[in-house]
Amino acid sequence: MMKGGWFKVYAIGYLVFLYAPIIILPMFAFNDATVIAFPLTGFSTRWFSAMLEQPTLSLAVKNSLFIAVTSAVLATTLGVFAARASTRYRFPMKAGLMGLIMLPLVLPEIIVAVSLLVVLLGLGVSLSLWTVILGHVLICTPFTIAILSSAFQSLDQSLEEAAYDLGESAASTFRLIILPLVMPGIISSLLISFTISLDEFIIAFFLAGTEPTLPVFIFSQFRFPSAVPVIMALGTVLVCLSIILLTIAEYFRRRGIAKSGGKDTGGFL
Amino acid sequence: MTEKPTMIAFQDVHKYYGDYHALRGITATIKAGEFFSLLGPSGCGKTTLLRTIAGFEGISSGAVMIDGRNMAGVPANQRPTNMVFQSYAIFPHLTVGENVGFGLRRAGLTKDALAARVGEALDMVGLKGYGARAAHALSGGQRQRVALARALILKPKVLLLDEPLSALDKKMREQMQVELIRLQRQVGITFILVTHDQEEALVMSDRIAVMFEGEIAQLADPETLYRRPNSRKVADFIGTMNFLPASILSETGGKLEVEAQGFGKVTLEAEQAPGAASGEGAAVGFRPETLTILFEGQTATDRESMATIEEVVYYGDMTYYDVRLDGTEKPIRISMRNVFGRPVLDIGARTRVAWSPGALVLFR
Amino acid sequence: MMNASSRWAKLRQTEAANGLLMISPTALYAILMLAAPLGTIVLYSFLTDGYLEIIRDFTLANYIEAWTNELYRSVMIRSLAVAMVVTLVTVLLAFPIAYFVSFYVAPSKKSLWLFLITIPFWTSYLIRVFLWKVILGYNGVVNSGLLGLGLIDEPLTFILYNVNSVVITLAHAYAPFAILPIFVALEKIDRSLLEAGQDLGESKFMTFRRVTLPLAMPGVIASVLIVFIPTIGDYVTPQLVGGPEGRMVANLIQLQYLKLDNYPLGSAIAVSAMGIVTLVSLIFIGLNRRYLKGPK
Repeated sequence: MMKGGWFKVYAIGYLVFLYAPIIILPMFAFNDATVIAFPLTGFSTRWFSAMLEQPTLSLAVKNSLFIAVTSAVLATTLGVFAARASTRYRFPMKAGLMGLIMLPLVLPEIIVAVSLLVVLLGLGVSLSLWTVILGHVLICTPFTIAILSSAFQSLDQSLEEAAYDLGESAASTFRLIILPLVMPGIISSLLISFTISLDEFIIAFFLAGTEPTLPVFIFSQFRFPSAVPVIMALGTVLVCLSIILLTIAEYFRRRGIAKSGGKDTGGFL
Repeated sequence: MTEKPTMIAFQDVHKYYGDYHALRGITATIKAGEFFSLLGPSGCGKTTLLRTIAGFEGISSGAVMIDGRNMAGVPANQRPTNMVFQSYAIFPHLTVGENVGFGLRRAGLTKDALAARVGEALDMVGLKGYGARAAHALSGGQRQRVALARALILKPKVLLLDEPLSALDKKMREQMQVELIRLQRQVGITFILVTHDQEEALVMSDRIAVMFEGEIAQLADPETLYRRPNSRKVADFIGTMNFLPASILSETGGKLEVEAQGFGKVTLEAEQAPGAASGEGAAVGFRPETLTILFEGQTATDRESMATIEEVVYYGDMTYYDVRLDGTEKPIRISMRNVFGRPVLDIGARTRVAWSPGALVLFR
Repeated sequence: MMNASSRWAKLRQTEAANGLLMISPTALYAILMLAAPLGTIVLYSFLTDGYLEIIRDFTLANYIEAWTNELYRSVMIRSLAVAMVVTLVTVLLAFPIAYFVSFYVAPSKKSLWLFLITIPFWTSYLIRVFLWKVILGYNGVVNSGLLGLGLIDEPLTFILYNVNSVVITLAHAYAPFAILPIFVALEKIDRSLLEAGQDLGESKFMTFRRVTLPLAMPGVIASVLIVFIPTIGDYVTPQLVGGPEGRMVANLIQLQYLKLDNYPLGSAIAVSAMGIVTLVSLIFIGLNRRYLKGPK
C-alpha cells in the first residue's frame, strides 16, 4: 500500500461528495424533461434558449451585476484601509474595532439582514438596490481584509523606507511600491467580493424591496416546478462563471505571492 | 595628518519609546570619509541611532547634525544620506536596473544618461550586465550589491549600513567585508555600519563606537578598543579577556603601582587604565595571546611566572590552554600558535609563562 | 489656535493616531451599519408591538413569549441540535482531509488541493442546496441508484424534507470552512516533533494522540466555531430541504419580520438566538481553554 493510501481513497470520496451537486447540475440543464428526476430522457439545449427569453431574469442579472460591482469596489476600498491599519499600526481599541469589522464573518446573515432592515425602515429609507449594497459591503469587507492583510503582511516595511530614503514622498511611495505589490491582492479581493455579492440571497431578500436580484429570482422560481429546468441551465452558466472568476482570483493571489518573493501558504480565507 | 572635517555630530541625543529610554544621551562626532561602526549586542540602541541619522526615527531631545546642518524636521527623503537595509529591501516588482535607478526618477535625466549612471553603479559593485534581470531572482550576495549600488548612485554624503552582512554565510560575509572596504576607499563617502559582530567591526572600521543599553561605552579605533578597553564590559564584548584581582598600592606621577594576583607587584602607565581605575576592587585584564608558554630552552624577554595546565583545547592552527598561575584561584586562558615542531602540552603539566606588564590593562 | 494646530500635527505623527485615522472609514462603516443596527434590534426586543407601529413601552413580554411558546422553543432547540450535529459531522469528516492534505500531499500540490476543496463553496449556494433536494428526493439520485441496485424496493422518504436532509446539506455547504482552519493548524506543526514522539517510544497512533491532536486543537476549535455559529442561523437550507419539521430559527425570524410584521418578537427571537450561540461558543472555548494557551 502506498503512503497515505487510505487517506487518498477517503479524500477522493470526499471530493465526490463535495462536487456531487455540481456534477448533477449540467445533467438536468441539458436534459429534455420538464421534471427534475431520474432517469434522464434526452439531450436538449432548450432550457438555455428559454433562459435567454426570461424578461425578469435579465433585469435580475442587471441588478445583481450592479450590486456586485459596486459592493466589490466599496468593500475592497474599506478593506484596503482596514488591512493597512491592522498590519502596519498599533493603536488603541484595535482588537475591538477589528473584531467588529470581522464580525459578519461569523454572524448569521439573517441577523445582518433584519437589523439593517429595522434601522433603514426606522430612518424612513426606502428599500432599493443601494440598501442591498449597504448590507453586501458589510459582509464582503471581512473577506477582503483577510485577503488584503496577507498581501500587506508579506510587504517588507523596509521597502517603503527604502523608497522614502531614496527621495520619494509618502504618496509616491504608495503609488510606486505599495500599490503595485498589493495589486494582485486587490484584484483577487475584488473578484471574491463580487462572487460573494452575486450569490448572496438573504440580505437581498430582505433589503431589495421590489427589485429582483439574481438569487432572489432563483429562489422565487423554485416554487414553480415548471421553471426549475431553466434555473438548472442558469445554474450551469453561473457555476462556469464562478469557476472562471475563482481561477483568475487564485492566479492573481499566487502571482502576488511569487512577485513579493513569499511562500505560498494556502488558499483563500 | 590633517584633521578631517566633521560629517555627523550627535549632541546629547535622547530617544524614548513611551517609558523605554532607548538612547541615553549620545554625544559623538563622525568625520567625513570615515568608515565608522556602531557595535553592540541586540537591543543596545545601535540601529535606533542609525535610523535617527536616516530620519526614520525622531529624537526626543538633543540634536543630530549632518555636515553642519541640524536635521530636526528634515524628513528622510530630504536628507543627504542613503541606507542599505538589513533585508536589503530590493523592490521585488522591478528589475535590477530599475532598482538601482530608483532614486534618480526625479533627477530628470534622459533615458541614455540614466542608463549610463545605472550601468556605472552596477559596474562599481561588480554586477555589470545584470540590469535587465528580475530582482527577486537574485542571490543574497547579489541583492546586497544591488542595495549598495542603489544607495550609492545618489552620491549621498553618508551611507548607512544596517547589519548588511548578517544574512550572508561566513565565506560570502568575509568577501563582502573586503569589498565594502575597497568600495568605501573608492568613493570616499562616510560609511556608518551597524553590526553586532565584533570581528566585522574590527576588520572594517576606522573607528568604532561600542554601545550598551542606549549609551556609547567606548569610542576608539579598533586597535585601542582591543588593546585598551575602558571597561570590563567592553573588554568582554570584544574578543576574550582574562581578569585577575588586583589592588592599587600607589599612584605617583601618572604611574600606578599595582599588586596583581599571580603577577606580583607591577608598575603600569596611566594609559593602561583607560577606565581611570582607582581605589579598591580593581582587576588587571590581558588578552590570551599576550601571554606565552615557555618551552624548554626558551627564556622570557620580560617577566615570567610558574603555572599548572588545567585544560587543553586543540584548534588545529591554535591551541588554547587554561592554566592556573601559582598563587591564583581561577585559571586563565592562553592561546598559542601551533608552529612546526612545538609539542602540545598535557593536562597537569607544570610550565613557565612569559608575560609583560605593558600588556596589562587595569579595570575598576 | 496656533497651539491647537501644532498639537494636532504632533498627534498626527504618532503611530496610534495614524492607525486610528487609517482604520476610521472601515470602522465607522461597521459602527453605523453593524453595531448600531444590532443595538437597535436589542432595543426593539424590549418594546411592545402595536398594530402597524412599535409602542415605546419597555417590556420583557417578547422574551417570555419567545422562551415559553412551545412552537418557538421547539424551533430553537431544533436549531441548536441541528447546528451541533452538523458541526460534529462536518468537523469529523473534515479532519482526515485536512490531515491528508497537510501530511501526505506534496507541498507543490497543496494549494491545488485547497483550491479544489474551496471551489464548490463559491458556486451558487441556492442552486447547490436545491440540488441536494434532487439528490435526496423521491425520484432522486440516491433513490434511483439504490432501486437500480435492487437494495430497496421503494424509494426512501426519510431523507428529504426533514432534519436529516438539513444536516446533510449543511454539512456539505460548510465543509471548506471546517477544513481550512484545521489544515492551517496542522501545517504549523514542526514535523520533527512527531519524529521525537516516535523516538521516545510511542507508536504512530499514540504519537498522533499525544502530539498531533493537541497541537491541532486550536484549528479544530476554530473550525467548530466557524461552522456552528453560521449554521444555527441558516435560512435557505431549512426552507428548501427541511420541510415543515425541518424549520429553524432563521425561518422563524423571517416569518416574524416579513410575514407577521412583529418586529419586537422577531428581535427577541434573534437576540435569544445570538445569546444562545454566544453562550454555547463561550462554554466550548472554556472547556478547551488549555489547548489555546501558550505562544501563538
